[in-house]
Amino acid sequence: MDALTRDQLAIEPARVLTAPDLLVGSSLPGWHAAGGGIGLRRALEDRAGIIGVLERAGLRGLGGAGFPTHRKWEAVAAQPGPEKVVVCNGNEDEPGTFKDRFLLGRTPHQVIEGALIAALAVGARQVVMYVNPHLGSVLPTVAEAVAAWRADPVLLELAAALGGPVTLEARASSGRYIGGEETAVVAWLEGSFPFPRRKPPFPAESGVHGKPTLINNAETLAHVPHILRHGAAWFRSRGRGGAPGTKLFSLSGDVQRPGLYELPMGTPLAELIEEHGGGMLMGRAFKAVFTGGPSNTLLTADHLDVPLDFDSVRARGSRLGTGAMIVVSEGTSIPRRVTEFVEFFAESSCGQCPPCKTGTYQLATLLHRIDSGHGTRADLDSIRQLCGLLPGSGRCGLIDGAVTVVASSLERFGAEYESMLRG
Amino acid sequence: MIGVEIDGRSAQAPEGTTVLLAAAAAGLPLTGNVGCMGQGVCGACRALVRRDGAATAETVLACETRAEDGMRVSFLDRFTLPRQAPYDETALADGWAAYERMLELFPNAQNCRHCSGCDRACPKGLSVQTGVMQATSGDFGAAAETFALCVMCNLCAAACPESIAPNHVGLFARRALAASQRPTDLIRRLHQIVTGAMAVETTP
Ligand SMILES: Cc1cc2nc3c(=O)[nH]c(=O)nc-3n(C[C@H](O)[C@H](O)[C@H](O)COP(=O)(O)O)c2cc1C
Ligand code: SF4
Ligand code: SF4
Repeated sequence: MDALTRDQLAIEPARVLTAPDLLVGSSLPGWHAAGGGIGLRRALEDRAGIIGVLERAGLRGLGGAGFPTHRKWEAVAAQPGPEKVVVCNGNEDEPGTFKDRFLLGRTPHQVIEGALIAALAVGARQVVMYVNPHLGSVLPTVAEAVAAWRADPVLLELAAALGGPVTLEARASSGRYIGGEETAVVAWLEGSFPFPRRKPPFPAESGVHGKPTLINNAETLAHVPHILRHGAAWFRSRGRGGAPGTKLFSLSGDVQRPGLYELPMGTPLAELIEEHGGGMLMGRAFKAVFTGGPSNTLLTADHLDVPLDFDSVRARGSRLGTGAMIVVSEGTSIPRRVTEFVEFFAESSCGQCPPCKTGTYQLATLLHRIDSGHGTRADLDSIRQLCGLLPGSGRCGLIDGAVTVVASSLERFGAEYESMLRG
Repeated sequence: MIGVEIDGRSAQAPEGTTVLLAAAAAGLPLTGNVGCMGQGVCGACRALVRRDGAATAETVLACETRAEDGMRVSFLDRFTLPRQAPYDETALADGWAAYERMLELFPNAQNCRHCSGCDRACPKGLSVQTGVMQATSGDFGAAAETFALCVMCNLCAAACPESIAPNHVGLFARRALAASQRPTDLIRRLHQIVTGAMAVETTP
């Protein structure tokens, strides 16, 4: 579903990444006509000032963790030597998140320009657009866009500033969910299966073939040229209630108009659902929302007023994550949705940490039993036990995400689980 | 006495008992997860345990693991394989036929990703990944040796992201070896029975 192609989009305010004139596909002249290239020009003029602008803008990672972008860039910039890599993470495979495919497929140049600015800021001469190949024409579009940049003389200016030729390429990821985890990105780009690795070392210190590597989400990078072009204060003023910038929300579930919405950071949840999503499906009552995707804490009706920004959502005990909002109405089963999500995690687990693979399977088995009406109190007790003993048992965040959504649904909808028990 | 938490229930058990005995002491139903009742041969009591203060959980057999104070335990259900691997043991005596049959039954075995998930999952500490490699390279003798202590708990099968069912590959190798070359002591004893050198009492 792509709500942005609807005319309703034209009346929405404050669109930075999805304004209609930016939706130029792989056309570089189209991007330049929409003001593209100015951000990179500013960056070339004041290379040392790039990271400071991002810091003042308050840009945070939009791939899930919300880590302050300038700190990651500083960490890579501080590493010695010219052999560094910038990777744009466009693997996007989590259920309910469908923002990066829009950016990369419809307006890839801002993402690429953001990656080039990153290369300039951290001193990297290798730039990789790492893209999920299972998203229709997205990867071919990025490849075309990359080819257009390669022919652009600005790359020579970049090379002059960086003291050597700059390589820019589009690379197909494995398309597996786990392939989006940052150390798995590194493993895949080294030619291995995308198994997450132990951290530390973090990619910023030792990434692709041991080179310091900056990995940012596509949406994070997309903001960068606009920030450099219009300034930090402008970016901050795009948000609401003190939160900076805008955010792409992947709205799905029991709403009238599911789709992708770019709104000011800090837009209240109720406004996203009511004004943009057209309210609840078939007039049903709101029950809950899986905030930030299927690996986070659920928010309930008491939290409809929460401003959707990193800090406000965290203050309610949840996380903004990727900005996915999977809405559930009365009449839709929470245990059913949670079972589906945990099955996804069990399937996606890469298996190198046995507690992750076996634990998520066991959780899925127990949940499935309850959901299908055969569960007992002992099964529910076993689920609770697993939620306590599994966290931290994996190399990556997959196992903890699976536990978080189960534990949160038990905490907030325990009665619903109880009502489904057989004995 | 020590305190443990098993499948959501708190239990007290005397020091030095196994997790399985602690579960029995806690009054947990010893049905799905117990077969040989503590002899370490059936592999049914597979569990995840988290020791007090440990950084991660680990996979164990409850009958072979000493219960510790503050330990948390989750038994793991019987794990059924996505597909069966049927074969006629008597047809495995010919090495060529056995090798072809194995490739046919376990096509994924050649796709091992060397993630070592199976090695880490194995409560017996076997080199499962190596055993799979030995079997796929046709060395059933070595594979059978590697899997000699396998009790078919299925923990490696549950862990393996390629659905290789390493333990079943191992079992196949052990059977293929036995089909062509029974252990010498067994052959001698059978020979003694068949030739009458050893009397066998049969109950009427
Ligand atoms: C299991 C798993 C899957 C992930 N998948 C993605 C992904 O598809 N895209 C992405 O940008 N980040 C993904 N991440 C987060 C990355 O590890 C990393 O934090 C992110 O790319 C950093 O970018 P940012 O700082 O711009 O947010 C994933 C993390 C985990 C644990
Ligand atoms: S936690 Fe799970 S998904 Fe992550 S590396 Fe370990 S087994 Fe793989
Ligand atoms: S778990 Fe499977 S893929 Fe991983 S090493 Fe063992 S047999 Fe190979």
